[in-house]
Amino acid sequence: MTSPRERPAWGAIVPFLLPATVFYLGLTAYPVIRTVWNSVHEVLPRREAYVGGAHYVELWADDTFWRAVRNTVTWALVAPFLEVSIALLLALALYARVPAARILRIAWFTPVLMSYVVVGIVWMWIYNYDWGAANAILRAVGLGHWAQPWLGTTDTALPALIVVTTWMWTGFNMVVLLAALHALPTEVIEAAELDRCGWGAKLTRVMVPLILPTILNLLVLSFVGKMKIFDLVWITTKGGPLWSTETVSTYVYKRAFEWSTFDLGYPSAIATVWFVIVMSFVAVLTWMVRRQQKLEY
Amino acid sequence: MWGRVLARAAVMLVIVLWTMFAAGPFLWVATISLRTTSEFMAAPYALPETWRFDKFATAWTGSGYDTYFTNSILVVFSAVAIVTAVGAMAAHALARYRFPGNRLVYLLIFSTIVLPPQITVIALFQTLAKLGLYDTRVGLTLVYAAVQLPLTVYILESFFARIPADLFDAARIDGYSEWATFWKVAFPVAMPAIATVVILNTILLWNEFLYAVVLIADDARRTLPLGIQKFMGDQLEDYGMIATGLMIAIVPVVLIYAIFSEKLIQGMTAGAVK
Repeated sequence: MTSPRERPAWGAIVPFLLPATVFYLGLTAYPVIRTVWNSVHEVLPRREAYVGGAHYVELWADDTFWRAVRNTVTWALVAPFLEVSIALLLALALYARVPAARILRIAWFTPVLMSYVVVGIVWMWIYNYDWGAANAILRAVGLGHWAQPWLGTTDTALPALIVVTTWMWTGFNMVVLLAALHALPTEVIEAAELDRCGWGAKLTRVMVPLILPTILNLLVLSFVGKMKIFDLVWITTKGGPLWSTETVSTYVYKRAFEWSTFDLGYPSAIATVWFVIVMSFVAVLTWMVRRQQKLEY
Repeated sequence: MWGRVLARAAVMLVIVLWTMFAAGPFLWVATISLRTTSEFMAAPYALPETWRFDKFATAWTGSGYDTYFTNSILVVFSAVAIVTAVGAMAAHALARYRFPGNRLVYLLIFSTIVLPPQITVIALFQTLAKLGLYDTRVGLTLVYAAVQLPLTVYILESFFARIPADLFDAARIDGYSEWATFWKVAFPVAMPAIATVVILNTILLWNEFLYAVVLIADDARRTLPLGIQKFMGDQLEDYGMIATGLMIAIVPVVLIYAIFSEKLIQGMTAGAVK
């Protein structure tokens, strides 16, 4: 920054900010406002009519919507804990000086770089009833009676997809946690060792509390990601069977572009409600993480 | 003594199991991509007996993957070029100049990182349709640039903010204009961060699906993720060919990752560590 006494150099600031502002206003801010506007209108290809809160009233009584909310929230609550706890375990394993740690770190990170389209197709095959790896392994260890079409059964479809996101994101969380562990001051850990702290105590009393801010950040990040999930579901199950994997995003897409109702107002109302919910969750969680960090230091 | 050995063995076991779990699916697809569907159905987990690299040529010319690949390259590279220039300029302005509303602008852009895409996708469809940009690669490119703008500004701003002010003062004394200072001083100095966002945005957009599926309809304009989805829909049982298509989408990512793994990991984790 230049010295505070100077007047703002608008002649330089405006040209630098202008292109970003145009993109932001035109392709982010305006669409958000337009969606909110849509949500109180009936929006047909050639006709738009004000309907007030009608879409919201309809939404309140829409069972499929609530089913989608339940699925999405389940996903968003379960997945972060799975990902982060397994990642912590793996990070500690690598932290304990394992040979080839660098290569393992790179290998474990790979799934997150793949498109959900690719990942979805691969996992559809893994879950295939006849020759998928999941059932092949069960049959090989004599648990063949557990074999089932994992994505085709209402009870197992959502858990099966949660396994996929866990597979995909654990490596990412692991890398972040490992970086946080390596950033810990060595004196603290040496002090714990001098105090004859056992491995377990060193872990729970010293290391985990010190990287708690990172853990919380990762939980929030994973939570937000799952609240938005679309691609994976769309490729694998399209929300089926019987809405057992319907998420809010897939339901918005269906109502906007798949159903022959043509009305863009109703899906916009869903999107608006979800937008408000996600943003308030993020605000509250960020506030909690901040407060936690203040307590720490 | 035995406890230590046992603990060590348990750690190694966890590591080996997770490595197989993490890498297994891709290795499996890689083997399928080199086998025919009938070979695959006969023994799903066998290694290729003859390595049928010609399947890649068949997919490329016969199943439209040349078109999808070209479209992906065009859209992703243009969007990344645009968002890098636009984002770097904005990040530079926000990091270097003090003016009222600076933090407000930053916060507005930054907060859109967590925006659920559904809140914009319907209206973007309407807007692009009105502008005649629906189902065009130009429209998708512009949307992609806008989508990646917040992350780009976020990563670059924190880097630009750490460039010492003395450098800019020296440039001014040398008679550089503000514009020249940015392109000839700030931009080159920020090259490590620029490289990070370029690589990161390339991969994220290469994999993007939701905006593409909403904003593109014609087969001739499909990007790779859409092409793969369509091919799978048409040839549901032709596992061998589908796997070849998957590899065509995976290989560029793996190549970029192989060359820039550290940079990429840095970029992906930048937001999480803070």
